[in-house]
Amino acid sequence: MIRFEHVAKRYPGGVQALSDVNFELERGEMAFLTGHSGAGKSTLLRLIAVLERPSRGQVLFDGKNIGRVSSRQIPKLRRKVGVIFQDHKLLTDRKVLDNVALPLLIAGFSWSEIRRRVRAALDLVGLLDKEKTLIPSLSGGQQQRVGIARAMIAKPPVLLADEPTGNLDPELSEELMRLFCTLNELGTTVLIATHDLDLVERLGRRTLVLKSGCMVDDRSYNGRRRDDGGAVA
Amino acid sequence: MAGQSHEQGAYVSRKDHSGRGELRAWARRHAYSLLSSVGTLVRNPVTSLLTIAVLAIALTLPLGLNTALVNLEAVHDNLDRLDSISVFLEVDAGEDGARRMASRLSNWRNILAVDPVSPDAGMRELAGASGLDRFDVGDIPLPWVLEVTPNSTVDIAELAERLRRADRVDMVVVDLDWVRRLDAILGVFSRLVILLAALFAASVLFVISNNIRTEIQRRREEIEILALVGATPGYIRRPFLYSGLWMGLGGAMLAWLAVHAGLWMLRAPVEALAATYGATAEMVAPSTQLLGLMLAGSGALGIVGAWVAVSRQLARINP
Repeated sequence: MIRFEHVAKRYPGGVQALSDVNFELERGEMAFLTGHSGAGKSTLLRLIAVLERPSRGQVLFDGKNIGRVSSRQIPKLRRKVGVIFQDHKLLTDRKVLDNVALPLLIAGFSWSEIRRRVRAALDLVGLLDKEKTLIPSLSGGQQQRVGIARAMIAKPPVLLADEPTGNLDPELSEELMRLFCTLNELGTTVLIATHDLDLVERLGRRTLVLKSGCMVDDRSYNGRRRDDGGAVA
Repeated sequence: MAGQSHEQGAYVSRKDHSGRGELRAWARRHAYSLLSSVGTLVRNPVTSLLTIAVLAIALTLPLGLNTALVNLEAVHDNLDRLDSISVFLEVDAGEDGARRMASRLSNWRNILAVDPVSPDAGMRELAGASGLDRFDVGDIPLPWVLEVTPNSTVDIAELAERLRRADRVDMVVVDLDWVRRLDAILGVFSRLVILLAALFAASVLFVISNNIRTEIQRRREEIEILALVGATPGYIRRPFLYSGLWMGLGGAMLAWLAVHAGLWMLRAPVEALAATYGATAEMVAPSTQLLGLMLAGSGALGIVGAWVAVSRQLARINP
């Protein structure tokens, strides 16, 4: 589904975010992306959502080199990727309903269908009673869940999350992760960037580790390395 | 065979359905953009009203001037008809000669009426106009004068020439100068209207463009978010284009109302002015075609202004 081949990303200021990243995420797989802050986790996710283009190497999405697609095709690609942002990226002057509905409005769904799907999504993240609430009156955790509802409402094949449990208490984090697992079981490919190593450990899924822009580890859920390094973590 | 054709039919109908679905989705996206633009206007009523007021003032000037011009032209036409030619007869023509001449001229096709004025009457009129009780010219004999009112369609210069050639006519006086001057003034006015219309059309463009630009800056985050969740530039642009259209239409409507209000307020003084000339004034409101033209023009300018602003900003944000 997603394949990185010798991908490097250097920002205009001269910051080398990624140096040489290689990995592949199968369709329907769920993986964690860990590493210290500044290791390049966000950049890697942004490359998949075509929010950035790689300086070198190829990012393949369904076999297509998305680093080279024309800007006209970018919106279509972004609709296939639901992204949960660290800073939520919600419309703060609108209600929860309007925020979650955004991807469906863009796709031109009928209003009754939109209402139905929004209610279902909000039910899933436990915010059904907040449909008419304005974003600023929600807590950080609630806003995060609105972001999740928006990311999954159009049923994209890929879901990316950047530190989704960043400001949630452990109980909520656990709940959220269970939600991601459920979506994954329904067939969505999920990649979650996090530094909550305890959580990663508990869930026992494939884990990619970034360090200063390089992929230094790739462990499958049984704790064994995927590449032929062979060492057991 | 039958099965195959049935299958084909099903395929075609399904394809057809999906095409209709696409069309419906497209129509819905447009409807959402339209609603969103209205929502923005309603959410910021003060800003929207101020902008529309500025546009209306900009549009009221050329429209008001045009209306004044149309009314002045109507007055001008009336004046042409009232214009008369003074035919001075030779001094020895006498009263009989003047009366005969008058009845002869009144048969001319181009002449509406002929009014003989005796030397005494002429003198009284002159004295009245100059504000003196008496006007002593001594023993100089004064001629009879025929005041000729021509037909409205006639070429006054040509008629004057024919009268000049007639028997016993000493002098023909046509005061065409002020008519020509009024003509020239109206010409200047109508050119001024065109210039002002062009100038204020440009100002409409800039006002809307600038308004949309600040609106985009205010909603920068929203635009970025829309781009993040996969909105096309067209989808992002559309609500702003609608906003531009609303502002253009609103400005044109308000300008229209302002000119009507102005006409209503001017009615009484203009009627009073007309009464001093013994005439009645009928003020002409701008035509409905002009309203249509203005709405279309202003609306189009709104869309163009918004398009320019959005394209510049989209390129800068580069989502």
